Amino acid sequence: MSTRSRAQNFPLQLIDLVLIELSNWRWSWRSILVVGACVPLFGMIGLSIYARDLGPDALHIIFSGSLVMSMMLGNLGNIQSHVVFMRFQGTLEYFATLPVHKHTLMLAIIIAFFLLSLPALLTLLVVGSALLRISLAPHPLLLLVMPLCVLPMSAIGALIGVSVGSSQQGGSLSVLTAFLFGGLGPVLFPAERLPEVLRLIGLINPAARAASALRQTLIGPLDQQIALDLAILFGFTLCVFYVVGKKLDWRASHSLR
Amino acid sequence: MIVYDVRNLAKTYPGATEPANKDISFQVREGEIFGILGDNGAGKTTLIKQMVNLLPSSSGDILLYGKPLDHEALYLPSLVGYMPQESHSLNQLTVAEALYYSAHLRGMKRSAALDERDCLLKLWDMENLRDHTSSRLSGGQRRLLRLAVATAALSKVLVLDEPTNDLDPQKRRLVWENLRALNRDRGTTIIFITHDAAEAEKIIERVGILHQGELIVTGAPHALKRNLKNKLRLEIAFEPGQAPSLPADLAPRQLTETRWQIYLEQHQLGAVTAALDIDRLTDMKLSSATLEDLYFHYVDAV
Repeated sequence: MSTRSRAQNFPLQLIDLVLIELSNWRWSWRSILVVGACVPLFGMIGLSIYARDLGPDALHIIFSGSLVMSMMLGNLGNIQSHVVFMRFQGTLEYFATLPVHKHTLMLAIIIAFFLLSLPALLTLLVVGSALLRISLAPHPLLLLVMPLCVLPMSAIGALIGVSVGSSQQGGSLSVLTAFLFGGLGPVLFPAERLPEVLRLIGLINPAARAASALRQTLIGPLDQQIALDLAILFGFTLCVFYVVGKKLDWRASHSLR
Repeated sequence: MIVYDVRNLAKTYPGATEPANKDISFQVREGEIFGILGDNGAGKTTLIKQMVNLLPSSSGDILLYGKPLDHEALYLPSLVGYMPQESHSLNQLTVAEALYYSAHLRGMKRSAALDERDCLLKLWDMENLRDHTSSRLSGGQRRLLRLAVATAALSKVLVLDEPTNDLDPQKRRLVWENLRALNRDRGTTIIFITHDAAEAEKIIERVGILHQGELIVTGAPHALKRNLKNKLRLEIAFEPGQAPSLPADLAPRQLTETRWQIYLEQHQLGAVTAALDIDRLTDMKLSSATLEDLYFHYVDAV
C-alpha cells in the first residue's frame, strides 16, 4: 500500500490556517480601518448629537450598537469578499488538495478576520467611550461575549460568500444583510422607540442580542438577559456554520459508481 | 501497482448539451510519468479536476490505489500533490510562507517543514523571491510557485495542470529536469497535462491523447510511433521566395515563409536529399517522428 502523508492534528491545522488567513491583512487593513472604525465612529458621533438629550441609556445603546455595527460591517463584508475570492480565484482548490478539513478552514477564516478587526474595534471602544463620556466597567465575561458577537455575522458573511454567483452580488448582499440585521431590532435605537414587530424580531436577531450582551459586559449591569443573549448568539452561529459547511463544495462529495 | 484506474469517465456540465469528456478509461502505474496531450478545449483540465476530486463526474469511476477518491475525507490530499492552473491560488502568501505552510500542513514537523521550504526555494530557483507575495509575482513565477507548492513534503503522486505554461525556456528546462529527478530518485508518479507536445517529449513515458473530450489513444510514445506510416521528419529552410523543388509524390507542409516540413519513409530519404539543392538551403534538420507528430497523426485521423 502507498505511503500517505499524515494530516496535522486539529490544533496545528487550525493554527497554520489562522496564520495563513492572517496574511489577508495585506489587502484588508484599509477596509478594516475605514469600515470597521471610521464609519461606525462617525455614525456614533452623529447619533450621539441627536440622542444626547435622551439620557445615558440612549448613549449606551448607541455606543454598543456602533460596536456591533463595526463588527458586523467589517467582518461580514470582509469574510464574504474573501470567500468569494477564494471560490473564484482557485484559493479554495489549493486548500481542498491539502489534508485539511473544510470546517477547520472556515473556522480559521473567521478567527483570523476577528483578530484583524480587533485593533479597529478597540480604537472604537476607547475613542467612542471617551467622546460619549461613557465610563466602562468591563466584566470578565466580555472575553466570551466579544467573539460570540463576531461569530454569527462572520458565519453569515461566509454563507453569503459560498452562495453567491459573483463578487458584485456578494458585495451588495452583504451590505443589505448588515443593514437589515442592524435595523431589525434594538441595535442602534432603544427598544421603546421601535414598533412592536421590530422589538419581537429583535429578540432573535443576533445583532440585537450582541448589542445587549456587549452593553451588559462593558457598561453594566449584568442581568439574566445575558444567558439568553449568549444562547441565541451561540445557537445562531452553530446553525449558520453547519449550513456553510454543507454548502461549501470544495471537494466532490461523491463519485458515481 | 496501479495508482490511478479511470473507468468510463464522463462529465457533462449543468446546462451543457455536449459532454466535456466521455468514455475515458486509462490506468497510470506507480512510478510512471504520464502525460495527457490535447488542444485547447479538449477537456484536459476537466479530466484532471475529476482526478483530484475537485469536480464530480457524471458517470464512471476513478480509483486511487484501488479505492474511490472520497472513501475517506483526506484520502486523496494525503496521497496527491496537485498543481492547479489558476494563478491567484496563493494570493496573499509570500513564496516562503506558501512553501512552509504547504509542507507543514502535509504532516511535516515544524523544523522539517522549514528545511523543506529552504530546499524547495533552492530547487526551484526562487531564493530571490522568498519574501515576495504571490500577487506581486509574474505569471511564470506564480506558476513555478504553484509547482513548488505541489511538490512540498513530496506526495506519492503529483498531478500537474500545464506545469510549463508562461515559463521562459530556462525555467522550462528546470521544471523538466526537476520532475525527472523526483521521478527517478523518489519514485514519484507524475501525471500532467499540456498542449505542448514538443516540450512534453522531454519527460513523458506514457501518453494519452485527448481530443474533443475523448481519449483517442494511450501508450508509450515509442510504441505508438511504430504505427506511424512516415517515421522521419525533415525540416528544410530556404531564402525567402525560393520554394523548394522536391519529388512530386511528397506533400511538404509550409511552416513559415521560409521553412518547410516533410514526413518521409526511410526508402524516400535518398531521393529527397538528392533532389535538394544544398547550396540554396539555409537550414536542414532530419529527425525521427516526435510526440507532436504522433499527436497530429492521431488527431487528424479522428
